[in-house]
Amino acid sequence: MTLTTRSRSGVGPDRSRRDLSAPWRHLDPVLVVCSLAIAGLGVLMVYSATRNGVGIGRTPGRNDHTYLVKQFGFLVVGFVVMMLTASIDYRKYRDWIIPIYTLMCLMLALVVSPLGATTKGAQSRFELAGLQLQPSELAKPVLILALASLFAAWKGDIDVRRLGMALGVALLPMALIMLQPDLGTALVFIAITIAIFVAAGVRGRYLAILALVGVIAVVGILKSDVLATYQKERLTTFLDSKQDTGGSTYNVNQSQTTIANGGPWGKGLFKGPQTQLGFVPEQQTDFIFTVVGEELGFAGAATLLLLFATIMWRTWRAAQLARDQLGTLICVGVLAMFGFQVFESVGMTMGIMPVTGIPLPFMSYGGSSSLACFAAIGLVLNVHMHRFR
Amino acid sequence: MDPDSPRLRLSILAVVVLSLFCALFARLWYLQVMTSGTAAAAASANRVRTVAEEAPRGRILDAKGRVLVDNTPSLVLTINPYDLKHLSKDRQAEIKLAVATQLTESGVPTKVTTIEKRLADKQYNPLQPIPVATINDDLYLYFSERAADYPSVSVERDSVRHYYNGSAAAHVLGYVGRISQDEIDAKQGNSTNAKGIPKPYQPNSNIGKSGVEKEYEDDLRGVPGIKTIEVDSKGTPIRVVSDTPPQAGSDLVLTIDIDVQKAAEAALAQQLDAVRGGKEKGNSHLTKAPAGATVTIDPNNGNVIAMASFPTYDPIEFVNGISSDRYAELQGTDPAKNPFLNRAIQGQYAPGSTFKLVTATAALENGLIAGNTRFVDTGTYILRGCKDGSAPGCTKRNSGGAQNGGIALPQALTASSDVFFYSLGDRFWQDGPKSGLQDTARGYGLGADTGVPLPFEASGFIPDPATLKAAHPDATAYGEGNNVDSAVGQGYVLVTPLQLANVYATFANGGTVYQPNIVSKVLVYGGRLDRPEDVVRTIDPVVKGKVDLGPAVNDPILQGLLGVPRSGTAQGAFAGFDLNAFPIAGKTGTAQVDGKADTSVFAAFGPVGGVRYATAAILEESGFGADAAAPVVRHIFEVLSGQTASAVTAVPSGDTTR
Repeated sequence: MTLTTRSRSGVGPDRSRRDLSAPWRHLDPVLVVCSLAIAGLGVLMVYSATRNGVGIGRTPGRNDHTYLVKQFGFLVVGFVVMMLTASIDYRKYRDWIIPIYTLMCLMLALVVSPLGATTKGAQSRFELAGLQLQPSELAKPVLILALASLFAAWKGDIDVRRLGMALGVALLPMALIMLQPDLGTALVFIAITIAIFVAAGVRGRYLAILALVGVIAVVGILKSDVLATYQKERLTTFLDSKQDTGGSTYNVNQSQTTIANGGPWGKGLFKGPQTQLGFVPEQQTDFIFTVVGEELGFAGAATLLLLFATIMWRTWRAAQLARDQLGTLICVGVLAMFGFQVFESVGMTMGIMPVTGIPLPFMSYGGSSSLACFAAIGLVLNVHMHRFR
Repeated sequence: MDPDSPRLRLSILAVVVLSLFCALFARLWYLQVMTSGTAAAAASANRVRTVAEEAPRGRILDAKGRVLVDNTPSLVLTINPYDLKHLSKDRQAEIKLAVATQLTESGVPTKVTTIEKRLADKQYNPLQPIPVATINDDLYLYFSERAADYPSVSVERDSVRHYYNGSAAAHVLGYVGRISQDEIDAKQGNSTNAKGIPKPYQPNSNIGKSGVEKEYEDDLRGVPGIKTIEVDSKGTPIRVVSDTPPQAGSDLVLTIDIDVQKAAEAALAQQLDAVRGGKEKGNSHLTKAPAGATVTIDPNNGNVIAMASFPTYDPIEFVNGISSDRYAELQGTDPAKNPFLNRAIQGQYAPGSTFKLVTATAALENGLIAGNTRFVDTGTYILRGCKDGSAPGCTKRNSGGAQNGGIALPQALTASSDVFFYSLGDRFWQDGPKSGLQDTARGYGLGADTGVPLPFEASGFIPDPATLKAAHPDATAYGEGNNVDSAVGQGYVLVTPLQLANVYATFANGGTVYQPNIVSKVLVYGGRLDRPEDVVRTIDPVVKGKVDLGPAVNDPILQGLLGVPRSGTAQGAFAGFDLNAFPIAGKTGTAQVDGKADTSVFAAFGPVGGVRYATAAILEESGFGADAAAPVVRHIFEVLSGQTASAVTAVPSGDTTR
């Protein structure tokens, strides 16, 4: 392999002195810079969406810094978390995966107990001393680690028994999340699971059977009463967005209008009328992309998508370069998580995906989501850094 | 390649992610580059609200510049039923109770059911705020400070009509009310080209519903101001984008003299009161005197100086909207007593003997008789088409069986000889010109709208074979007997009080038929009559036609009419009136109505020699013209001539002529 050769050539006479910091020499700066750039833009966009106070239900007119300060704090903490995650060799995580996974399931169970707090119909967070914690966000990297560890441990063929076990590992947290209910996060889990199954070499016919069962399950859920009516409406109205201007399509119509209103060059930072007058609901969280669309235009929005694409590329590259299957599968899991979240979150604001509450990675306001994203990139950096030792 | 190769599988994932991103880019390009134009329009419609601000409505002044109607600020509490409906049942009840309680405490006793009734009233658009009550300053403050606590309730500063003379001239002035959907459609057609309409209406705009308020709506209505404001997603105003202030409407100067108007109304009402409950002479019909009207015109230009109709109403009832219940209550169940009818232009009556002026003009014009042609009035008249008088309808009599002996036209008018005029009607039919009577009547403007600029005018009826067939297809064809009846203003002949006054005005001015006029000038808002620069436009007299009244026609008729108050049928009614200082010529009329007391009619003009006024009065079910109507006209002339006004009372009459 040429890459290996090139790296070896960098290892010179003072190998012993550099040996300790060797992994850090292989830190992927592109990934770090892209992540920080997106997160930085995210802080600005969250501020733009909340500074007037209209969209967040406060008295309009005053210059509100609350969200700006908090989101910047999340960025700083997230950066530290990313570096910490990267610094411990990812193979260590495999050794701790059983307690980590157990802790995650425990927290997901606790959040649907009376200890959890309810927002917008979903019991999804803990509230402690003014801080909120959303365990389902943190569960994303944990699930990636768990599935990757499981498949990496099985050398060779994956039979039905092993497949069943892997499915169980994925379905337990998913079931707990559906109890909240948080459909969006559950969909992210499905995307992660499918991607790892594909990359781990699960046979084509098993995947086909799983897909069939999945389709039947989705149809069954839509027909049954597991989902609240508003969730079903959100999931189906993107197919026919003009049917009802006052109801569930309002968000989608306003969101598309806002993005299109930006035009090629945007209305300018803090100058988007739809944004500043609060016409898009949940704009600092799930609909954050509309702020970029209106205020920065096609130029800004396309740049943001390119930054995300770069992250995808570097993550996919890390998956290829990984020294073992564990590393590859971790990167694939992160790739699936980011790929799905970006496509769903951006796609729903543009009306090509149904509306579900999924944060745009690094952009949407929220501590748990930010930390989970930084931790996930930390894992990719980790795999990339430790590809030689 | 091995389908299970890890590299292939990673490539598949890469392709999937790549295609997802391509889809996002494509959609982004479509939205922001290809369709951003339409989105900009949608975004601007989102945040820009246009608010119309009603302009002050023009004032209405009388002929001497005295203000009859202007505007006064009013505080109104409104409830938007659409917003209310979207609250919970409990909250709805709570809000209605709170409003009722607050209103009651402020001195306007209100029940929840009253509010509910108002909200359910079909006359209001259920999507618009409905006025519930007029409120005082304290309550205005109370509700405007608690707007958030009472969703759907709001208080508005409104400008409403203020009437300085109570119910005086109510029928002429008319009233304003909230515009109906039909009226919006009529005024602005389809609302898509609303930009071309100079004075656009909103669903809660007021519009003139009757009287000059309706007829001169376009002058009275101002140009609404338009305010464009930017709002946020909650509807909170952020800034004013543009503000065009409202322009007030124009003032109207009426031809009405409010003093004469009040005198006419009082005289009419008092006389009807006096007559009511009596018994008619010669039969058992009760004089119910339910209604009547009187009109005074200036014969020199057709200006209406007074126009009274009884019963009447107080236009204050319509300020801030009238409930359907209250409207029905005022209207009553008996159409004969409906106060909203302006009987001066909408009431149609047989004119009785006052029509003899028309018959006399026709006969003289057509050379049927000369001024001194004498007839022998034996008290009865046998139609020439009959072999003898015994066949039904062949014999007609003077009322009370009076015999006037050998008389010429002046005496026939003064004494109101029916036989004399029966024979004229008969001769027109038998000797021709067959339509001579009708032609003259139409020449005087009868059988058609006078064109007075007031809504809902009736046109009366002049019968001939063609018009009778058109109006009453089932009736026996118009014939000799009908023409004999028509000659004395009976049968099918119908006139409005205004038409009758105009006939006498036409005779008085030498034959010019004017279109009666009610508004003489349009002034700028707040303008003064004595400042020429305030005049927006002057409404000149309109000549509708001409009646040829040479001395051979005029003199014998004038002589006869002058005799009526001096020595004729109205001698009693004018006893004590100084006819030398203010010579009056007139004619009584007593029109028979089947099964009811007679319609009492009197028409006159004066002062002869320099005529300035022509007046007609018609009192329903009130008996002889000399008894009921003539005193009303006398009273009006006393006011007009500056003589000491006598009390209006029915004249005890020994007079049996009509």
